[in-house]
Amino acid sequence: MTGAVTWGLVVSSLAVIVVRRRSLAIALVAAQSLGLGLYAIAQGSRTSTALAVAGTVLIAKALVLPALLLFTVRRARKERLIATEIPALGRLAISVAAALAVEQSIPRFGLAGAGVEHAAVGVLALGILTAVVRRAVLFQALGFLIAENGIYLTGLSLPGGLPVFIELGLVFDLVVIVSVAAAFAAKIHEQLGSGDSSLLEALRD
Amino acid sequence: MTDVLLVAVPAVPLVGALLVRLPRTPGGADRMNLIGANISTVLALTASVVGFVHGARGLHGSWFVLDHAGACFLAVIAVVGWCSAMVSPTYLASAGKSLFTARRARAWYYTAFYLFWAALLALALVKNLGVAWLLIEATTGASALLVAYSGRRNALEAGWKYLVLTTFGLAVALLGILILFAGLAPHGGTLSTLDWQSIARHAGGLPHQTALFALILILVGLAAKIGWAPVHNWLPDAHSEAPPPVSALLSAALLPTVMLIAWRVVLTLGVAVPHHLADHLMLAFGLASLAIAVPFLWRPMAWKRLLAYSSLEHMGILALGIGFASPLATVGVIIHLAGHALAKSLGFYTAIPLARHDPSSAQRAPRGLARLSTPVAAGAGISLATLSGLPPSPLFFSELLILLGGIAAHQITSVSIAAVLMALGFLGLAHALIETLAGESHGHRWRSGRTVRLAGRLTVGLTLGLLALSVGAYLLADSHAGASLMRGIA
Repeated sequence: MTGAVTWGLVVSSLAVIVVRRRSLAIALVAAQSLGLGLYAIAQGSRTSTALAVAGTVLIAKALVLPALLLFTVRRARKERLIATEIPALGRLAISVAAALAVEQSIPRFGLAGAGVEHAAVGVLALGILTAVVRRAVLFQALGFLIAENGIYLTGLSLPGGLPVFIELGLVFDLVVIVSVAAAFAAKIHEQLGSGDSSLLEALRD
Repeated sequence: MTDVLLVAVPAVPLVGALLVRLPRTPGGADRMNLIGANISTVLALTASVVGFVHGARGLHGSWFVLDHAGACFLAVIAVVGWCSAMVSPTYLASAGKSLFTARRARAWYYTAFYLFWAALLALALVKNLGVAWLLIEATTGASALLVAYSGRRNALEAGWKYLVLTTFGLAVALLGILILFAGLAPHGGTLSTLDWQSIARHAGGLPHQTALFALILILVGLAAKIGWAPVHNWLPDAHSEAPPPVSALLSAALLPTVMLIAWRVVLTLGVAVPHHLADHLMLAFGLASLAIAVPFLWRPMAWKRLLAYSSLEHMGILALGIGFASPLATVGVIIHLAGHALAKSLGFYTAIPLARHDPSSAQRAPRGLARLSTPVAAGAGISLATLSGLPPSPLFFSELLILLGGIAAHQITSVSIAAVLMALGFLGLAHALIETLAGESHGHRWRSGRTVRLAGRLTVGLTLGLLALSVGAYLLADSHAGASLMRGIA
C-alpha cells in the first residue's frame, strides 16, 4: 500500500470533519472510495482477482452511495447553519487527538506494514468521530462510509484481499444501511425542518 | 433433504417479504402474512427438532451448522416471530400514522418484518463468522425502519440512534474479524477460514496479542448490537418506540441471536487468549449490564421502557452464564433465553391493549390494571412476575442454575456481586408488579375489544410455554445437556 493512498484517506477523512458544505463532504468521501478502488484494481491486475473485484466494487460504491446522499441533500436544500455544532478548529483538534490516541494504543495485527495498520484504524476511528463531532445527520451517515473505507483499507492490505463473498456482501449491506440512513435523514429534515441531530434528544431517563 | 429444509428456513420468509407486497388491500396483506408466518414457523420448528435429534456435534453443511444450541435459538426465533406476525394485524389496525404513505404502510411493515425475521433465522444456522457479520448488519437495515415505523419524532430519534450506534459497533467488530482473518490466512485465506470449526482448530496457533485484539474488537462491536452496557444507549429507546410486535422480536430474538454469535466467538477464539480473558470479558459485560439496569428497574417508568431496561438486565444475566462457562450455567443460559423470550414477548404484546385503552402508558407507568381489565392484568402480571424471577417461573430456575454454575466455576466474587444485583432487580420489578396490578387507577373497566381478547389468548398460550420451561429446567439441571450444548457450539 502506497503512502499516498493511506495519507490521502487520512487527510480526506479529517477534511470531512472540518468542511461546512455537505456536497463537498460527499465529494471527499466519494474520492476516498474511488482512490481505494483504483488502487485495488491496479494491484489486482498484477496479483489477485479478489483485489480486482474489490476495486470494481469500491468504484461502484464510490458512484452509487454518494449519488444517493446527494439526492437526499438536494431534497433538503435549505439547510440552516447548525448552531450547536462545535467550531471547525475544535472538531479538528478533538478528532486528531482521539484518532492519535486510538492509533497509538493498537498493537501490530498482521498487515504488511505498520503504517497501513495505523492508517486503517485511524480512518475507522475518524469515521466514528465524524458521527460524534458533527451534528448534521448527513455527516453522521458519511461517517459510516469513512469507517467502512478504513475497513476496506485493511481488507486490501490482506494477502490476497478479502473473500469475494464478503466483499459483495459488505457492499450490499452498506447500500442498504446508507439507503436507510438517507431515508431517515430526509424524514428527520421533513419533521424538524433541520438535519440537526442534537434536536433528537427527547428520549432520556 | 435436511439441506433443502435448512435452505427453506430463511428462504420462505425472504420470499414472504416479496409476496406480502402483492395484495392491494390491508386484509389481503394480513392473510398473506398469516400464510407466510405459519409456513416459516413450521419449517423452522421442524429444523429445530432435526437439530435436537442429531447428536451434540450436530449437522454440518456447506453453509450451516445445526447443533443443539442453534436448534434452541432457532425454536425461540420461530416462536417469537410467529407470535409477532400473528399480533401484527391487530397492532396495524390501530397504529394510525406511519413513516410510510398510508396506502403502502402495511406492505412496507410486513416486508421489513419478514426480511428481519429471515436474517435472524439464517443467523442461528450459519457456520461462518464473516457471513454471520453480514446477516447481523442486514438485520440493522430492516429493523431500523421498523423501529421508526410510527414516524413520530421520538421513533425517528430511536431509529436513528439504533442505526448509528449499531452500525459503528459492527464496523469495529468487522475490523476484529479482518484481523482474525489475517491471522488465520496461512490456514487457507478463503471464506471457510472463518468457519467456526476452522477458527476452533487453528486459533490456538495465533499470536496471543493478535487473538486478544481481534477478540476484544469483535466482542465490543457485537456488544453494541446485543445492548450490553456500556454500549447499550440505543436499547431502551428502540425497544420503547418500536411497534410492540417488533419490540418483542428485537428483545426476545435479535439480542439473544447476536449473543449466540458472541458465544461462538468466545468458545472458538477464547482458547487463543491466556487466563480465560474471553470469559472474564463476558463477566464484565454481564455485571456492567446488571449494574446499569437495576437502578432503572426501581423507577416508575412507562411500560415498554421498563421492559427495555429489563432486557438490559437479562442480557447481562445471559452474559454471566456464558462467562461462567460451566455445564450448569450453560443449561441456565438456554432456559433463561427461552423463558425471557416468552415472558418479554408477552409483556410487549400486552402493550397493544394498554396503548389502545390508556394512551398515557407510553409516558408513565400503568397502575391498577387488575381493576381495569383481567386479561391485560394477567398478561402484564405474568410477564413481570416471570421477568422478576419469581418462583416457580423458569427464570427463577435459570438464574439459580447460572449462579450455581458460577460457583462450580469458582467465580465466587462475580457470583456474589451478581446475586446482590439480581436480588435488587427482583425487588424493583416486584414493586413495579404490585403497582401495575394493584396500584390506584382511574376510569372505567375496559370493554373486551379485539386487543384485550388477543392479550387474553396470548397470556394463556405463553403461560403454558413458561410452565413447560419450568418443568424442563428442573429436568435438565440434572442431565448432561450443558456439556452437550457447550461441545456443540464450538
